[in-house]
Amino acid sequence: MSLSTSLNIAVEALNAATGALQITNNNIANANTTGYTREKVVLQESATTTTTSGVSLGNGVTFEGYQSVRDELLQTRIGQETQAQSGASAQLSSLQAIEPTFTTSTTDIGTEMSAFFSSISSLSTTPTSSTLQEAMLNAGQNLATAFNTASSTLTSQQSGLNTQVTQDVGEINQLSKQIAALNPQIVSLKASGQTDGGTLQDQQDALVLKLSALTNVSITQTDNGETLTTGNGTPLVVGSQSYTLQTSTGTDGMQHVLDQSGNDITSSLTSGDLGGTIQIRDTTIPGLLTSLDTLANQFATAINTAQASGYDQDGTKGGNLFTVSSTVAGSAASIKVAITDPAKIASSSDGTTGSNGNLTNLSAVQTTKLASGKTPGDAYASLVYQVGSLTSSANAESTAASSTLVQLNDQLKSVSGVSTDEEAANLIQYQQAYEAAARIVSVVQSLFSITMTMGTAAAE
Amino acid sequence: MRVTNIVSDVQYAMQQSQQNLATALQQVSTGLRVNQLSDDPIASANMVTSLASSANVDQYTKNVSSVLSQMQTADAAISSIVTSLNTAVTLGTEGATGTASTANKTAIATELEGLLTGIVGEGNTSYQGAHLFSGTDSSTVPFVAASATYTSAQGTTASPLTAATALTAGSVTTISDASTGETMTYTAAAGDTIATLQSAVASAVSAGTLSSGTTATINSGGQLSIATNSTTNGVVVSSNDVALGSMTAVSGTEVANAYAYVGNNSVNEVQVGDSLSIATNLPGSTLLTSGTNVISALNSLITALKSGTSTEIGTATTAITSALNAVNVSRSPLDSAISRLDSQESFLSQEKLTLSTAQTALVGANLADSATNLSAAETTNSAVLAAAAKVMPNTLFDYMK
Repeated sequence: MSLSTSLNIAVEALNAATGALQITNNNIANANTTGYTREKVVLQESATTTTTSGVSLGNGVTFEGYQSVRDELLQTRIGQETQAQSGASAQLSSLQAIEPTFTTSTTDIGTEMSAFFSSISSLSTTPTSSTLQEAMLNAGQNLATAFNTASSTLTSQQSGLNTQVTQDVGEINQLSKQIAALNPQIVSLKASGQTDGGTLQDQQDALVLKLSALTNVSITQTDNGETLTTGNGTPLVVGSQSYTLQTSTGTDGMQHVLDQSGNDITSSLTSGDLGGTIQIRDTTIPGLLTSLDTLANQFATAINTAQASGYDQDGTKGGNLFTVSSTVAGSAASIKVAITDPAKIASSSDGTTGSNGNLTNLSAVQTTKLASGKTPGDAYASLVYQVGSLTSSANAESTAASSTLVQLNDQLKSVSGVSTDEEAANLIQYQQAYEAAARIVSVVQSLFSITMTMGTAAAE
Repeated sequence: MRVTNIVSDVQYAMQQSQQNLATALQQVSTGLRVNQLSDDPIASANMVTSLASSANVDQYTKNVSSVLSQMQTADAAISSIVTSLNTAVTLGTEGATGTASTANKTAIATELEGLLTGIVGEGNTSYQGAHLFSGTDSSTVPFVAASATYTSAQGTTASPLTAATALTAGSVTTISDASTGETMTYTAAAGDTIATLQSAVASAVSAGTLSSGTTATINSGGQLSIATNSTTNGVVVSSNDVALGSMTAVSGTEVANAYAYVGNNSVNEVQVGDSLSIATNLPGSTLLTSGTNVISALNSLITALKSGTSTEIGTATTAITSALNAVNVSRSPLDSAISRLDSQESFLSQEKLTLSTAQTALVGANLADSATNLSAAETTNSAVLAAAAKVMPNTLFDYMK
């Protein structure tokens, strides 16, 4: 034991206080940085020394650096919830763009179909009126246009989603690269003694969270850092190696996602923005399109059949009122009125111009079940229900996931967040420690002076 | 739990209360509880069906009104015919008395001829360009003056038509008889010749469709000639067979006061309710010529007055009375249809109201509830904002010197 030992201890204390202040400063500076985990000061009591007389004395404090306060389990849960929320949100925004087409307005399919049947009924009161005949053809064309619009809304949504898929895959590849680059850095940091990756780990966690928003990701901790896989085990990041995903146009005209070896993994991507987008593009929209096309095709066929059972104003058998594609697919996009001459409406059942007998057959299409088992009106109503209920479910999922995320984030903040009030208190604490240590330096210094001048005249 | 930063919680709370405020505002301003399909998918789907029903009810209402005016026009024409027939009975009775002089009888006959022309005119009434009493053949004038002889356009002395001349398969030839009030319709089958037509005419005569004495022959000019061989009875003939060409009346063979019905017997129906269709026309045959032939009864009376005995005039007048009764019977379906339409009108407006009410119940918002919700949302929002303002600014740094 000696004064110099005390000096050393005081100097180390100053060091520790300075280091602690710096860490507190860092916390305050990063209070609003996303993904920042607060750093705790790690101070260790220095190893004791034993004097020659066998007395153990403490050796002051060792500044060991900082420890990030992290909860990895919570972060994993947040990642999963983010996947769910992004997926639901992607589906919701697509469905909300589709909803208005099926909402009652002046031009939706339901309204135009009613108007078409009304025009047939109107014509039946005066079958020879060319005004009413033209009105019926107009109503028919308006209905066909409504089908065309609904179909093109759905298909253009699909194209938009194709672009989204390509974008998402690009982003995923970028993130994979960045995450892979951090893995060796974190590994070597841990090898040098730190138990936690610190700032680098914060960065990596933030990147992984962004990746979770894009697709379903599984994370495994290995000796080489984090291994990330997506889908059914497709690797994205293994150690320092990142694996890119590619997109290519499939036979259905859609962008498919392939792994690095060229295997199609599109159907295994089930959550995140990419998963939600793929779900809507490949399952939901095709389902709606099929229902729409089926309705258009069966409706047009029923009307054409009714038309063929009567005679037009020239006494000839009725021809097709609507042209529609022969396959069900594409019917809603292709349906249009085939007749331009109003006299070709087959209103007559006996060949005379004044008979309205066949208009009964045309009107009957409204109340007769189509091949699908529903009347046209009911088939459309059930399509409306489908769209509404899909949107409502996506909305509920998205809201529920958002609210869970808020709670989880609150929990995470409670563990890892910076409280500026707490740091302010810490500032005072370390400031006082510094002042105290500085004071000891002064005291030791004056003791040195006294010792130096011991037994001299200056000591008076 | 460690609380680190209140601001993000405050932001989330503000978002929530803003959203509630926006929803409440939308409900009040649109008056609807369901503004998007996703607000209530089942109600939205049910609305589609309900609106379709409403559109149908609207159309039925329009149909009732348009059909009603058409039928009322027909009814007015029939009333006029009935009035004329009543007058005819009075005149006939007058003429049947033993004290009527020849001059009187001639005058009455002339008056009756005028009434007959009037009745035929009423029978030929059109409404908005379509004849009301032609059945479904509304572009054709139903009652046409009959002639004793019709000849074909085809056939000359040099190249005459013969019994063996082939007729065009599917062609239609009609002979309407003014006296029987019936029409013979002959559709040529493949391989038919004029001989086939001739025997069809003969069968029609035996069946009573055409009056006895009506024949189809080849005349000296090589044309097909269809004739009644009577000065008091006539026919109207038409054909679309190119082998015959069009059939025209030989001039000078018009039979006075003889009219044949050339429309058809079909009836149009119009739907005026989900399960109610109304027949909208009465064929002229049903009204005036088929069964009891009103026109030929009048013709007989006129003939009797000009050259018959009192007994004959009396018999002819009695026939007019029966004809009058027949008209009243045949007009009754039209009259009952008109009154059904009137009651259907009020039923439809009730239906419309019921549907509207149901639709409001499906998607409408109770205004009182919406207004209350809006007020509550607004209050909550203000409270959240005030709390936020109070809570956010304070940190320890404010209090440290």
